[in-house]
Amino acid sequence: MATTVVSRKAARPHGISARRRRAAYALLTPGGIWLVVFFVGSVLVMGYMSLKSGGLLSGGFRFTWSFGNYVDALAGRQMFFLRSVVYAGATTLGTVLLGYPAAYWIAFYGGRFKSALLFMILLPYFVSFVIRTVQWKFILADNGILLGTLKDLGLLPEHFRVLSTWIAVIGGLVYNYLPFAALPLYVAIERIDRAVVEGAYDLYATPAQAFTKVIFPLSMPGVFAATLLTFVPATGDYVEAEILGGPTTRMIGNIIQTEYLTRGRYPVAAALSMVLMFGMVVLTSLYAKLIGTEDETVAAAVGA
Amino acid sequence: MGTSVGGSDLGFLREALRHRLTRRGFLRAAGVGAAGLGLPPLLAACARETGTGGVDVHELFSGPPEGQVNFANWPIYIDKAKDPETGERYVPTLRKFEEETGITVIYKEVIQDNPSFFGKLQPQLQAGQPTGWDIIVISNGWELTALVKNGWVYPLDTTKRPNFDAHANDWAKDPPFDPGAKHSMVWQSGLTGIAVNRDLVDAPITKLDDLADPNKLPPGSVGMLVSEMADFVMWNLGIDPETSTPDDWRVAADWLLKQRETGLVRQYYEQNYVDDLTNGNLAACMAWSGDILYYHTWGGYPNLEFVFPEGGCLFWTDNMMIPAGAEHPVAALMLMDFYYRPRIATDVAEWVLYMSPVKEVQDLMLEDARKAEEKGWKGYARKLYETANSEYLFPTEELLARTRFGRTFESDEEKAEWDSIFEPISEQA
Repeated sequence: MATTVVSRKAARPHGISARRRRAAYALLTPGGIWLVVFFVGSVLVMGYMSLKSGGLLSGGFRFTWSFGNYVDALAGRQMFFLRSVVYAGATTLGTVLLGYPAAYWIAFYGGRFKSALLFMILLPYFVSFVIRTVQWKFILADNGILLGTLKDLGLLPEHFRVLSTWIAVIGGLVYNYLPFAALPLYVAIERIDRAVVEGAYDLYATPAQAFTKVIFPLSMPGVFAATLLTFVPATGDYVEAEILGGPTTRMIGNIIQTEYLTRGRYPVAAALSMVLMFGMVVLTSLYAKLIGTEDETVAAAVGA
Repeated sequence: MGTSVGGSDLGFLREALRHRLTRRGFLRAAGVGAAGLGLPPLLAACARETGTGGVDVHELFSGPPEGQVNFANWPIYIDKAKDPETGERYVPTLRKFEEETGITVIYKEVIQDNPSFFGKLQPQLQAGQPTGWDIIVISNGWELTALVKNGWVYPLDTTKRPNFDAHANDWAKDPPFDPGAKHSMVWQSGLTGIAVNRDLVDAPITKLDDLADPNKLPPGSVGMLVSEMADFVMWNLGIDPETSTPDDWRVAADWLLKQRETGLVRQYYEQNYVDDLTNGNLAACMAWSGDILYYHTWGGYPNLEFVFPEGGCLFWTDNMMIPAGAEHPVAALMLMDFYYRPRIATDVAEWVLYMSPVKEVQDLMLEDARKAEEKGWKGYARKLYETANSEYLFPTEELLARTRFGRTFESDEEKAEWDSIFEPISEQA
């Protein structure tokens, strides 16, 4: 079909394009090295660890192709995977619902304060992740400044609590991942051509129609990026569940942590991490296939 | 808090007060002399001990001390002061050691918890590479057992610790997890019992079963320490963890599952239960004696109380050890023994408020309290008295008899069985 095009391209003088191609590869090297060392390398180490056997009281772990670790690791753990996916899904929904109006407003009405407003979204993130999460413990303490006051006013029952429940965990996740949704959404909405929106109104679209038929579809690359950037890390997260959660809100990240730290079963912890990671790859690829286009995937990367 | 003292710049701050006292402590300690400095080689005649890793102990610890020691410890676990001239923070006892011996001590507070620190060193130890540390401090537990069993720590030359021999408490000289203290020397130790927030509980909390009693405690207000709860529950049910069998473990697991079903448990804590306690979220929880003593007496939380349950407390120790491949073992052992001088041990104990392995500490602390009183430092003297008279810092024989160490695992299989029995408690979906 397209043979002519291909051959015409191939017929171009070689000198420049070869050098350009070399330059392109050269430019890829830093990122490539980063990927090999910090991603491929560590995944291989993790995979290697997940196939070891032995014990810490008998000399440590040795590589023995122990695929049985995967069976051990997964037995009875479905609930925790499921819970992580559900919590992460709720988190994604929450961040988009909160981040979209903020991004929309900044993009359309922020005017010359756009940068300042975006900076305000980021401002809390200059403080360490764990410290911010621990502060919620103080704010939401059972008889603390918020709940204690409401209880004193008789607005809440005496033993009402937020901490140590799923509300606190998902709330903490939404709070911590909000900028990962708001920023790509902003980039996408900001890029929408205003003339197209005006065109919709000229054609007698109501504001609601303009939003659902024009603005929202055009912001899809941002939505796609926002969901990926919150869903993936939120699924593996364990900090919120550890700090704000309780016995009934443990996520798969907590189980991995317990296997690694409390029990010292490093291969089992590695096997669980591998399953989690490949599960996420499969889920996100499916999602990309169903919803994403190439444009959106690129936008996700750029928006990040 | 404290009263201001005649025109001096002494504030109410604990640190400032401590600073003065430890300085005075220095002058006195200088008189204790240099007992820790190298013993003549009469030891050469002793029978040669060989450690698990086939290390010749006497050879390892022979020769002159090296010029440096790299010491890894937990945060806020040693005395501190501010230099009045330079304003620089330093560790008085370490400075004294350095001045006396000319050995430089690199002291780092890098240990946040046992398993993750162990996890960092484990690959190097297994590969036979040095870890860079000469002294590490690890609690009794499976990490310590693994270090000893695999020869990942050097056996100690037991003939080269005169202060330890003269001043260590009996329980520190022969702990069940390291008979004869051949691989480890206690740094500090403490009890795991129950902390109660009196603002939130009216009912008396005196025993383990109270932690599972919805009539006494509000829902979601009890904290359990995940790495110690199995041993703690067992001992409180009258089972000695050291001699327990898998059937006993199941009994403890059943108790924990029942407790979980009451809805009282707020969280199974890996580490940090204190935030929830001080924020008023926990009415009662498993807790470490030193934490609660600190918050009760020094930290401004008089509503927090440490309870020694009827069934007893868990006893634990944090232990100094020399990891295999350490470059400066001779100096390291010297430093470890230095901390068994009564005066030095007292300086540390007054700061960290945990149980000292050195016998004379209580008397020295009372003496310090008297001296503080004479100087008119009333608030500080009162707190020192309260600390020195605390039966949880200086337990009587009778009280000690009501404590036990947690289980020491013999093998991986045993640990695996234990894990599988207790797994459902923190992991029930």
